[in-house]
Amino acid sequence: MPGASHLELLTGNRLVALGALDAGCRFFSGYPITPSSEIYQTMMGELPARGGLALAAPDEITALAYCVGASLTGQKAMTATSGPGWCLMIETVQYAVMTETPVVIAVVQRLGPSTGGATQGAQGDVLLTQYCTSGSYTIPVLAPSNCRECYELTQAAFYWSERLRTPVILLSDKEVGMTSESVNLDSLNRWPVVERKPFSNNSARFRTYACDCLEDPPNFAAVGGRARVVATGSVHDQEGRLRKNAPEVLELLIHLQAKIDAHAAEIVLVEEEPCEDADLLIVSYGISARAGRAATRQLRAEGRRAAFLQIKSLFPVPKREIVRAAAGSKRVLVVEENLTGQYASVLEPIVGSDRLVRVNGIGHMITPGEILDRVETA
Amino acid sequence: MSTPYVKRDSTLPYCKGCGHGVVLRALSEALEKLEIPPAELAIVTDIGCVGLADAQFATPHTIHTTHGRSTAFAGGLSLADSVLGEGKLKPVVLIGDGGAMIGLNHLVNAALLNLDVTVLVHNNFLFGMTGGQNSAFTPLEFVTSTTQAGNTTPPLDLAQCLLAARAPFVARQLATDRNLADVLAQAISHRGFAIVEILELCTAYATRWNALTGAQLKQVADRCGFQLGILRAEQRPMFADSYREMAARVRPKAPRSIRVGGSHARLAQPVEVILAGTAGERVQTAALLLGQAAMQAGLHVTLKSDNPVTQGTGFSVSEVILSEQEILFTGIEQPDVIIIVSGDGLSELERNGIFERVQQETLILADTSLALPDVPGRVVRLPLRKTAGVNLAALVGVVRWIEMSRILPLEAFWEALEAQFGAIATPLKAKLSQNTGTEPVTVPTN
Repeated sequence: MPGASHLELLTGNRLVALGALDAGCRFFSGYPITPSSEIYQTMMGELPARGGLALAAPDEITALAYCVGASLTGQKAMTATSGPGWCLMIETVQYAVMTETPVVIAVVQRLGPSTGGATQGAQGDVLLTQYCTSGSYTIPVLAPSNCRECYELTQAAFYWSERLRTPVILLSDKEVGMTSESVNLDSLNRWPVVERKPFSNNSARFRTYACDCLEDPPNFAAVGGRARVVATGSVHDQEGRLRKNAPEVLELLIHLQAKIDAHAAEIVLVEEEPCEDADLLIVSYGISARAGRAATRQLRAEGRRAAFLQIKSLFPVPKREIVRAAAGSKRVLVVEENLTGQYASVLEPIVGSDRLVRVNGIGHMITPGEILDRVETA
Repeated sequence: MSTPYVKRDSTLPYCKGCGHGVVLRALSEALEKLEIPPAELAIVTDIGCVGLADAQFATPHTIHTTHGRSTAFAGGLSLADSVLGEGKLKPVVLIGDGGAMIGLNHLVNAALLNLDVTVLVHNNFLFGMTGGQNSAFTPLEFVTSTTQAGNTTPPLDLAQCLLAARAPFVARQLATDRNLADVLAQAISHRGFAIVEILELCTAYATRWNALTGAQLKQVADRCGFQLGILRAEQRPMFADSYREMAARVRPKAPRSIRVGGSHARLAQPVEVILAGTAGERVQTAALLLGQAAMQAGLHVTLKSDNPVTQGTGFSVSEVILSEQEILFTGIEQPDVIIIVSGDGLSELERNGIFERVQQETLILADTSLALPDVPGRVVRLPLRKTAGVNLAALVGVVRWIEMSRILPLEAFWEALEAQFGAIATPLKAKLSQNTGTEPVTVPTN
């Protein structure tokens, strides 16, 4: 690493915390759980001295509810957990979806189900993080594969959370979160720091959920400010009043999905290693993307026409990029560390089941060798 | 105030005689008396009939939340406002007995933290909105739709529970109390966490199935052994006070950068190192210093550690990869070096099947006391545990390997040691450099 000037040996979890701080996160509430605890500890160590607030919650439900409450006053807020804690947060993440409250949740996956294996990695919460709302509303999910991406995607998470007023999940895992890597902090990419679009028309009466169009979030006013906020997790009209099945109410439910769909193309984060006339595409994300990339390079070194696609923004699903990357490939290998091929099930209708090959495993990181074996046998 | 918080002539969405309406009127009266600017007030409602109350307010912020969680959301509002904002916002939580039980943890935490939140628990002894089911607050012998032969479980004494949680203001009142508005005003104006449990009767279910009227609320309370009135009104520092004081004492941690200056041996392939020992014997520190030294020498590094769930006993195993190129796969497939400094570490490696992956070229650097399995590889025995004591054995192992392999200059390791240990680095270095008089012994393998 010649010319590097600011090198540190840091874990992915620490880079998540540093990314959050640089994104302007001012509020963190956490509860200890392996393998995410270092994010919590770092924020507890750093936020007080930087003018922010970090505190211990008595459980994960409270942790996220404190964050949502803080976000309602206009603060950028975050929590971090793992599978068992995420289960407890699902009730409150739905509230954040419904009330259009920005919040970032780092889910550092471990082996499940239940308490599973605290110190064992896994990519088994992909569908649990995505399909956690009644109504299956799309929650942006970003999956880093290394320290650099932990930093950058955490900032991206804040960016989209604030811009679209939605919870965003940073989906890491034990091996990404707890492995230290040599990182050049000066070379990390910074995301623009955004603020929610404020309600500013002093002559107009503020209506909490009034949007200019279905595709954009409403303007924001803080609880505690002059404009009166009427927030609710129940079906509501633009004023925030509980209404049953009125057209305006249903339109707002449609809006919750439409604002994500409308920005899906902008949210896309993928990294390709293309190959001319590729007949094989290896698709992966998170920790498995590293093995996928290594396997692809090995194949290329052997003269094989293999391309690689790392998906960083798992949801909304970057369909166009996947279709484009898979065009011409006879086989599309989807590599992920879970039992059934969770993201493969999402990709199957896009690439077609006849050419989709699942490369799965649990209990250990999928190795480049395992992928290469599947290339030969599948 | 010219505009009342809840209009005096408004029709409330509650049954005739329901205590919820009485409490709501008393709350409005209390707020008017206190003249709290509506912008500085947040009415936070829970689920149940009580959750309809927010719609009755025309001027303050209202937040209608999920079942039992109202206090936690209100806590978030208060935390952010009191520490990061202007510290003017007063959240008032309206919650029922069902919500108080499902969210008991939130009440206890808000009380312990002493958040600036007032909670009004509308305790009508049952779940009204869902059909009169019993709650954790239902008195003994009380008939509900789910205790048709009379309740047999004693009710929770919430006020005592919150007193135990060090809530600085705790009161229990009857909905029929004439001074209810005054007590609510006192609770809301209390600086810090305040809870008022208000006993009421659900006219849809409680009075239908139990021979009771509002006039008998006091008897119900007595039979439950509930104390009435203001049970505590004390001052203690709020969370925001203590937090600000703490925050003023701390400084951000200065990042410790690694200066790249050294050189390293030419590595055709990444070098995979396993360091195995006993938890608490600085195995992870040794691995960290090796990683930092390698970075200083210009290499890419990954480092991961494993130990049993309990942090201070049993094995401790660290894996370090050193590479000239960016490291993609971070697992160790075929270790180049295994440094074993204790029996705990050896057992874990055997359990993990590491030795099955050992090659002829693998260097195994082990303490002389250990009985190694028969494996290929170059075995080097050294008195790692005796050189400078067991707590430095892992560090000794790393130093010896750097000396032997010459992959990176030992100076880089000493720099990392100094950065980590400061003043004590010098005596540590002396200990680690001790010549034990034992030359490395290479044992031929079978």
